[in-house]
Amino acid sequence: MKHTTAAVIQDTGEARQRRKRYMLWSFLLLIAMTLVLPLIPYAVAYVQDGSAVRNPGSELWREVRQRDQAVIGQTQADNVDAGILINKRGEEWRLFRMKKLIPFGAILIGGILGLIILFYLIRGTLRLPGGRSGKRILRFTLNERIVHWFTVVIFWILALSGLITLYGRYVLVPLLGPEGFSVTASASLMAHNTLGPIFLVAILALFFTFVKNNFFARGDLKWLTKAGGLLGGHASAGRFNAGEKIWFWLAVILGLALCVSGLILDFPNWGQGRVVFEWSHVVHGISAVVMIAVSFGHIYLGTVGMEGSLESMTTGYVDATWAEAHHDRWYEEVRNAGEIEEPGQSDLSGGVASGGVAQSRSTD
Amino acid sequence: MLKELIDGIFWDIALIVFLAGIVWNLLAVFTRGIKKDLAVPRGSGLVGAVMTNVRRFYPHHEIAPRIRFQVVSGYLFHVGLLVLLFFARPHVEFVKDISGVGWTPVPDWIFNLAYEIAFAGLLLLLLYRLLSPVTRLISRTDSYVGSILVLLVMFSGCLAMLESFEGLRLFHRFMVELLMIYFPFSSLMHAFLFIPSRGYSGAMFGRRGVDI
Amino acid sequence: MSTALERGVETLKGQIDGRVMSYFSSCVSCGICAEACLFYTETGDPRYTPIYKTEPLRKVWRQNYTFWGKLTRSLGLSKPMTEADLADWEVLVYDGCTMCGRCTMVCPVGIDIAYLIRKVKEGMAAAGFVPDDLLKAGERALEFGSPMGLTAKSLRSAVTAQEKEIGMTIPVDVEGAEYLCMLSANEVVAFSEYIGSLAKIFAAAGISWTLSSEYFEATNTGIQIGDSGIAAELIGRAVAVAEKLKVKTLISPECGHAYTTIRWDAPNILGRPLPFKVMQIMEVLDQLRAEGKLKTTGSFNERLTYHDPCNISRRGGVLKQPRDLLNLVAPNFVEMRDHGSMNWCCGGGGGVSSNERADPLRLKVFDVKKRQLDELDVTTMVTACSNCRNMLDDGLEANDMDIEVIGITELVASHLAER
Repeated sequence: MKHTTAAVIQDTGEARQRRKRYMLWSFLLLIAMTLVLPLIPYAVAYVQDGSAVRNPGSELWREVRQRDQAVIGQTQADNVDAGILINKRGEEWRLFRMKKLIPFGAILIGGILGLIILFYLIRGTLRLPGGRSGKRILRFTLNERIVHWFTVVIFWILALSGLITLYGRYVLVPLLGPEGFSVTASASLMAHNTLGPIFLVAILALFFTFVKNNFFARGDLKWLTKAGGLLGGHASAGRFNAGEKIWFWLAVILGLALCVSGLILDFPNWGQGRVVFEWSHVVHGISAVVMIAVSFGHIYLGTVGMEGSLESMTTGYVDATWAEAHHDRWYEEVRNAGEIEEPGQSDLSGGVASGGVAQSRSTD
Repeated sequence: MLKELIDGIFWDIALIVFLAGIVWNLLAVFTRGIKKDLAVPRGSGLVGAVMTNVRRFYPHHEIAPRIRFQVVSGYLFHVGLLVLLFFARPHVEFVKDISGVGWTPVPDWIFNLAYEIAFAGLLLLLLYRLLSPVTRLISRTDSYVGSILVLLVMFSGCLAMLESFEGLRLFHRFMVELLMIYFPFSSLMHAFLFIPSRGYSGAMFGRRGVDI
Repeated sequence: MSTALERGVETLKGQIDGRVMSYFSSCVSCGICAEACLFYTETGDPRYTPIYKTEPLRKVWRQNYTFWGKLTRSLGLSKPMTEADLADWEVLVYDGCTMCGRCTMVCPVGIDIAYLIRKVKEGMAAAGFVPDDLLKAGERALEFGSPMGLTAKSLRSAVTAQEKEIGMTIPVDVEGAEYLCMLSANEVVAFSEYIGSLAKIFAAAGISWTLSSEYFEATNTGIQIGDSGIAAELIGRAVAVAEKLKVKTLISPECGHAYTTIRWDAPNILGRPLPFKVMQIMEVLDQLRAEGKLKTTGSFNERLTYHDPCNISRRGGVLKQPRDLLNLVAPNFVEMRDHGSMNWCCGGGGGVSSNERADPLRLKVFDVKKRQLDELDVTTMVTACSNCRNMLDDGLEANDMDIEVIGITELVASHLAER
């Protein structure tokens, strides 16, 4: 190789030593810089932020994940909740549904059903003391009965479809398979969402129809302490006893809660965010299982549980003995107003009172 | 296999029975005929027939308070049914598919609202029929079968509203086919016969010059 | 099947025309007709629902003229009709229905239920399930020419008494008179001032008229019983007399069903148009008023109201005339809340008041009229049907109500201006 004159003239042993030293120190400096330079921002950050130093990337994802607090970002999508990439509360809500609502709901509904069956097995139907008298009193007018049964039909379609939605996974999927259940779920969802708004009309009608006699009054507390006479003795009551009044207010309040939360859930067109849906669902779910559970008690007492009760809501009339036994203060009012109907009053007025007169329903 | 039956031969049978049954029923009424009225008329029978057909759509004020429930529920049901039967998008599309004739459907939210109104109305009427002593006495099997069939058709339609599952659509169509077969031989024929019934009475009113 | 049942069912089959088929096919059992019928509203008994009263006819229609009816009958799946299907309806049809037609006004599908009841009665009559009182009245009508058994002699004595009362002759059996006035038995026996009133009014108007001693009865027990044979015989006699006397117009008196029978039913019962005009007395009076031939003076100042006889107003079409006439002489005329073609029946028409068995029922259903009157606080009630008059008198008495009932012709006549 041909060297340059400078390099050849200068290439003595000393120069070579000097060059080696320069190379060594450069190399060491390079290593030092490689090691130290990246630590300078750390040091700066350390000095600035104390012991915790954040990775800016992890900072971003922590905000997205909303681990510490709710953070709403900005986006070009003009939509409610568009600034939330991952809804942290969603998991809490999901856990509430799966771990609290579903199991406790099942316990509540199943438990009350079980208690009712137990009560029936032990106590049986509460019979009319002394049997029927044959005299009857009008307890519920046609309007009242229509409003009640209208609410019943709508409530049961909604309750059933709601229960399918909540418990279908556990009860129906094993029976129908996932594909089969998807048909049932779709059908029940459509029924639920379409008929839901009618329930508001029903509950409002129920409220205005029955509120008059359902205000709590003197004697209600006593009735409750006697458990309506179950704990022995006679419990005095007016047209509606304390138990019925509690059911009325429970049904109206829970019913309205179901309607409001249901309408929010059914019509996402009003700019509700996820948090509104989550809370609505919580209210809806809890109200539903409570209302269904308590309704079993109402249904039991109105049918099998007490002799002479169901006919009050089907024919409108009750036997005078039933009225006196269960609603003595109302019975007094009716008796004083002369509204107790004697047997045989239903014969054709003024005409031929006995046989040979058309009695039969139209047949084909 | 069910799909081929319900979309195929059952539909054909139902349609034929429905159309032929209605025509047969109407012919039976008109061929039976009435005797000519030989009394000198005071006014026009035709005018009376037409005016009474219109007049009976709203009750006389003397009786309106007594029958408010039946009239309101009745209109809720009939108006709701009319809207959803003829103007719901799935129905309009169905008719367009089989006949080529189409028209503008209503928006889906109106369809939903009409359904809710019709369902509530029919349920109220059915409950009235069951709970009122008058209707309980005079109702016949036919009265209940008609109401329940219509209710089933409507309910099955609601179940299928997402239009995602063949099974639900077929169930709805099958209910419709049952209703179509039942229709011409039942009091549901009032849907057509209310016109001659009002008309016959109206003609009598018109000839006698009575206030309708 | 017993003979009575067979006769009833065969007759009912013959009653089924296009109207009957259309009506029964349209009925959806809504029950609205009940709310219009005083027999239901005042008793609360659903068996008085108007369309329920037509069950015998409906069953025959169903079993013989409908698909399901014929099918179930041929398969032995339906209950055959029994005598009870007719017998059990006698009280409903004859005691509990006046054929007032208020139900017809409210039916949403336009069923003329009164028309159907008339046909049901044909079947009941053929089977023999008619109240005894009505049957006896029918026999008397056929034998004597009047259901009350009145004869020409009874008419003549009433006429003579009236002639003395009003001081003018009353024409009887005058051939060629312009108007022939029919009478109901009530007017001969209880309200003969009607005859005197006619005389005064027609004399003042200068028109020729006559009564007939050969046959004067306007009422038709055949219609009330529902027996076309009797109805045709009785109306035939009236028409024959009018033809014999060669009158231009036959005047139907103050009687409800007499008007619908002679004006609207007679040509169809007899199968031929009538060769003379038929007018209700109020139509005649109102025509005279419009022509300036009815001049009144003074006024009847009592607070009064008008009861529309159902067969004259709602079923007959004579609604405006009574109002025009009352406005001539009664400045304090007030209408009942439900009046005109939606008035409430007095409860005694259609043969109900002739049927003693129905007395308690018709007095009970008078409650609706009582409520209407209590609202008005009137001293007087005017009407244009002597049967209504009797029924109203009975009802007012039973309820201790101090209201006088007068006939409209009599009211107008008592205010005739002196010539």
